[in-house]
Amino acid sequence: MQVLLLLFYIVILFTVVMLHVAYATYFERKIIGHMQVRMGPMEVGWHGLLQPIADGIKSFFKEDIIPENADALGFRLAPVVSLTAMVGALAVLPFAPGWVLADIDIGLLFIFAMSGLASYGVILAGWASNSKYSFLGGLRSMAQVISYEIAMGLSLVGVMLLSGSLNLSTIVEAQGGSFGGMYIFPQIIAFGVFFVAMLAETNRVPFDLPEAETELVSGYSTEYSGMRYAIFFMAEYVGMMVMSALGAICFFGGWSGPFAVPLFPALWLVLKIYAFMFVFIWIRATMPRYRYDQLMELGWKWLIPLALANIVITAVCKALF
Amino acid sequence: MQIQYKKKRNLLQNLLLIEMAQGMWLTLRRLFTKPITLQYPHEMPKVQRGFRGQHALVRDPETSTTKCIGCMKCAMVCPSRCIRIRIHKEPGHGNRRFIDEYHIDALRCVYCGYCAEVCPVNAIILTEVFAYSAKTRQELNFDMPQLLGNWDSYLAGQGELLKEYANPTWRPRGLPEGPMPVGKRLPVSDEWKGKDQVVGRLWRQSVQEQNR
Repeated sequence: MQVLLLLFYIVILFTVVMLHVAYATYFERKIIGHMQVRMGPMEVGWHGLLQPIADGIKSFFKEDIIPENADALGFRLAPVVSLTAMVGALAVLPFAPGWVLADIDIGLLFIFAMSGLASYGVILAGWASNSKYSFLGGLRSMAQVISYEIAMGLSLVGVMLLSGSLNLSTIVEAQGGSFGGMYIFPQIIAFGVFFVAMLAETNRVPFDLPEAETELVSGYSTEYSGMRYAIFFMAEYVGMMVMSALGAICFFGGWSGPFAVPLFPALWLVLKIYAFMFVFIWIRATMPRYRYDQLMELGWKWLIPLALANIVITAVCKALF
Repeated sequence: MQIQYKKKRNLLQNLLLIEMAQGMWLTLRRLFTKPITLQYPHEMPKVQRGFRGQHALVRDPETSTTKCIGCMKCAMVCPSRCIRIRIHKEPGHGNRRFIDEYHIDALRCVYCGYCAEVCPVNAIILTEVFAYSAKTRQELNFDMPQLLGNWDSYLAGQGELLKEYANPTWRPRGLPEGPMPVGKRLPVSDEWKGKDQVVGRLWRQSVQEQNR
């Protein structure tokens, strides 16, 4: 019975997240369109509201092409690895008190592991496609993940020190539910580092070097088409949502808000996630892409030292006060 | 010309990412402006007279055929050589040329409008019709009946008579009226004639220099 109930929750969470993914693409196209004084999708349904559904159906029924010289197993495995890892990370996110699939004590670590694993999908896709653009995309992804995973992990050490736990629910509770208790105030440097590393982890502009469509055609996903490409797309958007949720949980007090919402206690977290998604899209509409060496320089020369300094300061303050 | 460089940022501005914030503020403001998109198949653009679109041969209301006199000026001036005319002369008609064929290959045309500009009798015109397409190349290689038909449907859509019709491709602005052939001296509004007929900085400058 317990197992069935859990399965039911998993299905609900998965469905809701996938619907969000579909409409995140719509949201993104609309917002970028209006920021560029265009309109975005307008044809399918009222103001293009059914566009994501049409896109989904289209990519589902498209011919599945595997290049002749590609490594068939790796090629098939790569999108699945990406999506599974990213969706797996959803399991430990606490949406409201008690609304969490797996309330494990290493939640934060689990999310790092899963987002690290998701980039294996990208690397695998780049390798298995047997095409130079894909390969370059995969290599860039590898270098980017190695540099920014460190900065990201280190930036959240401050949060761990303050809350004394890796369990995400405990981290939210440690922030106390008040505005002043949010970790964004004591951990503002960590949040800056986390935010930049978050953009890099999810391969978003200005760190979208792995798929850099202006230089690498479409990077790691050049050879992919139809549903497999759509799966990569979903993985990217689920990744964005997981990172947004992580940011909201660790720095903005998770589910706590100005007042309790009776039937849907997850409302505040969801709103915070939407706000993060908007910023993701807003940045995409504004920023140009980093050059490769600048990306490395930013990661190693700025973010990692900053995160380390933040850890030292936090630890000293915690020990003194 | 003087190039205005931006002021160098100081350390504080660098640290606070002022330039990035400016960029983000710009895109955020644009989010709330009205899009300039034209929803094309549902909304049509307003095409101004003088737009160089589909070709047509003007049908003379008196003879109900083309006004073309077969002078070949258009065929000669055409930079892409897409106009092909065949003529013959008949005994008893002196030097009058009769048009056998008049072809315009719309796929080769570059829409420069020289043919309409050079035509002494205003027989050829580039209409404002821009949405015409066909499934074969043959269909866009217009012959005379098609070109006359283009004119008929265009004039019907305009709701104007040929007597009142004037097109800037026939009588380009900025040309003196004296040396023009009689057919080109159309009854146009005053802003096409005289001093105001030319808009533009370069022309005004050249006039000033001549007066000096």
